[in-house]
Amino acid sequence: MWERTLQDLIRGLRANKKDEAKFIAQAVDEIRQEIKNKDMELKAGAVLKLTYLEMLGYDMSWASFHVVEVMSSPKYHLKTVGYLAATQSFGPDTDVLMLTTNLLKKDLSSSPNDIAISLNGLSHTVSPDLARDLSHDIVTMLNHSKPHIRKRAVIAVYKMLVKYPEATPIALTRLKEKLDDQDPGVVAATINVLCELVRREPREYLSLAPQLFRLMTTSSNNWMLIKLIKLFGFLSPHEPRLVKKLQPPITELISTTSAISLLYECLCVTKLAAFLQDPDQNLKYIAFLALVKIAPTHRNLVAQYQDMILSSVGDHDLSIRMRALDLLSAMVTRDNLQSIVQQLLSYLVRPDSSPFPTAAQSLSLNITSPLSDGTGLVLASTHVSSYRLILIQRLLTICSYDTYDNVVDFQWYLSVLLDLTYIASVKVGDQIRDQLVDIVARVRGVKRWAVELMTRLLRDDTFLTNSREEGSCAEVLWAAAWICGENSSDAQSREIAEPQKLLPHLLQPSVSLLTSETIVAYLQAAVKLFGAWSMELSQNWESRKIQDVREVVDTLIFRLKDFTSHSEIEVQERAANALQLFTFVRADLASFHPEDLATRLPADGSSQAPAYPKSLLLISPLFSTYELNSVNIAAQDSISAPESLDLDTWIVPPPKHFSMDTVAVTDGNEKGERHLTKRKIKNKGKGKGKERSTNVVTVKLRDSQTDPMTSEEPETERIEREKVANCSYLKQQRLARMELRRHDPYYIPDRPYSAPFTNEVDTIPVVRLDDLPPLSQVAETQFPSLLRNSGTLIPSEPFVVDRNGEMPEGAIPPASLAPPPAASTTRITLTTPQALSSFPAYVVDEGVPRTVTPEPIKVKHAKKKGAKSKRTVAD
Amino acid sequence: MIHSVIIFNTSGIPRLIKFYTPINQSAQAIVTKIYSLISIRSSGSCNFLEAPELDELLGPKYDIEKLRVVYRSYATLHFVFVVDSSESELGILDLIQVFVEALDRAFENVCELDLVFHFDEVHHILAEIIQGGLVLETNLDEIDSAVHQTASARKQSFAAANPLALGVGGVGPRSAGLQTPLGWLTGKLTGVGTR
Repeated sequence: MWERTLQDLIRGLRANKKDEAKFIAQAVDEIRQEIKNKDMELKAGAVLKLTYLEMLGYDMSWASFHVVEVMSSPKYHLKTVGYLAATQSFGPDTDVLMLTTNLLKKDLSSSPNDIAISLNGLSHTVSPDLARDLSHDIVTMLNHSKPHIRKRAVIAVYKMLVKYPEATPIALTRLKEKLDDQDPGVVAATINVLCELVRREPREYLSLAPQLFRLMTTSSNNWMLIKLIKLFGFLSPHEPRLVKKLQPPITELISTTSAISLLYECLCVTKLAAFLQDPDQNLKYIAFLALVKIAPTHRNLVAQYQDMILSSVGDHDLSIRMRALDLLSAMVTRDNLQSIVQQLLSYLVRPDSSPFPTAAQSLSLNITSPLSDGTGLVLASTHVSSYRLILIQRLLTICSYDTYDNVVDFQWYLSVLLDLTYIASVKVGDQIRDQLVDIVARVRGVKRWAVELMTRLLRDDTFLTNSREEGSCAEVLWAAAWICGENSSDAQSREIAEPQKLLPHLLQPSVSLLTSETIVAYLQAAVKLFGAWSMELSQNWESRKIQDVREVVDTLIFRLKDFTSHSEIEVQERAANALQLFTFVRADLASFHPEDLATRLPADGSSQAPAYPKSLLLISPLFSTYELNSVNIAAQDSISAPESLDLDTWIVPPPKHFSMDTVAVTDGNEKGERHLTKRKIKNKGKGKGKERSTNVVTVKLRDSQTDPMTSEEPETERIEREKVANCSYLKQQRLARMELRRHDPYYIPDRPYSAPFTNEVDTIPVVRLDDLPPLSQVAETQFPSLLRNSGTLIPSEPFVVDRNGEMPEGAIPPASLAPPPAASTTRITLTTPQALSSFPAYVVDEGVPRTVTPEPIKVKHAKKKGAKSKRTVAD
Repeated sequence: MIHSVIIFNTSGIPRLIKFYTPINQSAQAIVTKIYSLISIRSSGSCNFLEAPELDELLGPKYDIEKLRVVYRSYATLHFVFVVDSSESELGILDLIQVFVEALDRAFENVCELDLVFHFDEVHHILAEIIQGGLVLETNLDEIDSAVHQTASARKQSFAAANPLALGVGGVGPRSAGLQTPLGWLTGKLTGVGTR
């Protein structure tokens, strides 16, 4: 019988390239037969073949017992096969490992050859159990007569210590002795091991310094010297005296490696700079590595080579480009940020099309053109998308580092962000969006400029049309809409944004190309913009303007109707909300006759009835009562729960048919109820804050809003039910409940909160908590928004970044800021799906003492205004 | 320490895969990825592989620190070492050179086919240079003598077990007796080439 050897298998593989899978399947079948054979030779051959196939990706874990059999063969050539297979295929959870203890013990006391392979095998497969049981045997091997064995034992001891640290005291003294071994190979191996050990626990090994120092001054082995310098690099931060002592020998060795001690680094910068210009790419790379280490402590030294480093961002070698980027981020300061960012931008701009070049950009293009002319290939290589992504992300983190500490001119930075939006062509839209929103919330001085830029973006129809393309950064439009809408009541921003001109852009049919989150932001922004615009009109009312208003409202209604049948429920709902508001406005406008007023006014002789349609004042107060502000991360924690808050009683008892789910629901109950309590009170505040006429509207709105909802729900529910027809009743109920919840605007899903501001938790812009105008005052004044816009903006002033955010008044900061408060406020579940229909049940309970819980109320209220659109993004 | 040693050819077919630390994804996936990154690099590039994708690939596995990929290409083969920060980058480049020279001594003008047909021998040679991810020996003469010593031990053991095999074989390299045409022929005829 002729069994296939490994060579035959490989030859067969090469001959059967077309049908490899079939050939291998056949071979594995043979191996399965052979491996069970009593003949050790045959078994070992099978194991060896299997090891080869393992390299090609075929499983051999099933054969581990046979591997152990082969390992235990007394014949050396078979034993090696077994050990090889073991090192290749055994992992920490291979169960046959415990069978090898005795086998290894035996091999460790056998001939030198056996000892060598068992030490080698042990170094790979050692487990905590093996390390414990064999520690004595391995340590004994450190004193073997053959240097080859001692060498292997030194490394095996290290592997053993990693798995079984309890053996350290015994092993370490023996290991230290090996530093004085006669054989240089043993000493080198010991240094290698020490290097690993010292890296983990430098303080433990400081006592070794004299011995190591002697080795460094006497040895001529380059390998060992490199490792020794690494070793001292780990040690010197813990023993300052070492640095002084090391200086002379290292100065001698300076060409060998890049070590870490401070002194050495200082000495070395000029040398490294020479490396940077070296034609050898490897030296260049090493120089970058070393400079990154130096940059944090010696920024000035590195800064001298800024130009050289910047030009390397366009190097044709990706490895070097990545290193250069690292270095750039390490060396950024307030002074050089702008020039660095402009350079990076110029690398991003495609040579053929730069659709939106700023003056600075074209300037920097001109500067770098001599470079790009000669190396067209270089520029092409910067456009590999994954690298672009890294480059842009790095750019964004450089700038936002430490809450925009290095950014001096935020106008400039916003323009950079906008430029990035256009030239990115990779998926970074969400990050740009987050930064935009963050900056606008934190830096008051830049709001106006932000509105101007964002208006420009919103008006760019080509950008909108291309939004479906990959890497179009359409998410930025969300930020644009939000910024324009949120700042629309600001008088100066309003001039720039010109709401009546922007509105058509926000509601044009092609908006439906965008994601539902962005459409929602668009709709909300449109309503806000109209509110601000109509408010302004009412102040400078001229009766001829009525025609303009009517036209705008008509178009708004016409456009909004399209969105009420959008496939996303969130969009539908917002559109329906807005539609009802505008329908009311239109009705009011239709009944407004300026001529009548003109004739009637003198008769009345007073200004009882305003000269403009009242509905112009309807929308603006809905959005502009409170100002947005960033809130300290600990703000929520510092608000203690009011004592009167009872989380255990039902507000609305659950309907009977959900009783089966109570267990599942109770979890959500607590939060849900708290939420309800808050809303209850909040509704009260809202009602007071509005004029009587608005109350009428909200009632109207509520009716019409629930109509489409209720007619919709059974429909979807039925479909859902059909889908799960054969599921159990319980599951059906749960699905139905989830479906209802999905449609419930007051239900925030319990999914993990993927905050848009993952980079910095404390940047989540939330509403200002204190200095709210007293509710009565709001009711008195007709233009609440004017109160807070009294201050004028002077953009030339230095920008102030609100770093910490605000804390509620009189709050005691909690001991630890560790738990992020976001979760507690946003993960709110609603107890019953009946919430909508039972809405009237939430009327104000006069029994609840309002004064006890002032802060939470405001938070919730504010959330509704500003953060509502934000929430949808998080969803 | 050294986390893995991989050899693959210019078409991405692995010739040797050695991981010194456990991995939680398929070794083949890592090889394929590294190959795809290396194969597009021009010859003038440096020997250190850096790519955004690489961090993802190696990231979840070794989250404590960043690993570096050092590689060197010889004719049709790429030698790739994945190492952490306790190894010197240039030192590893030299180590690859040592490894290749050791192979060259053992196989006499080593070529890809030697690695294909003697993959076990390559493993044995590597085991004389690196043990468990730590450098065992860097002196070529030491390595070479150790390699020869174990090879002859295997040969003897094989000969003792197979007295009819005409002294050919062991799981050894060509140097174990296949150089002479006669030896090659007997190997063919007996069909026990290297089992």
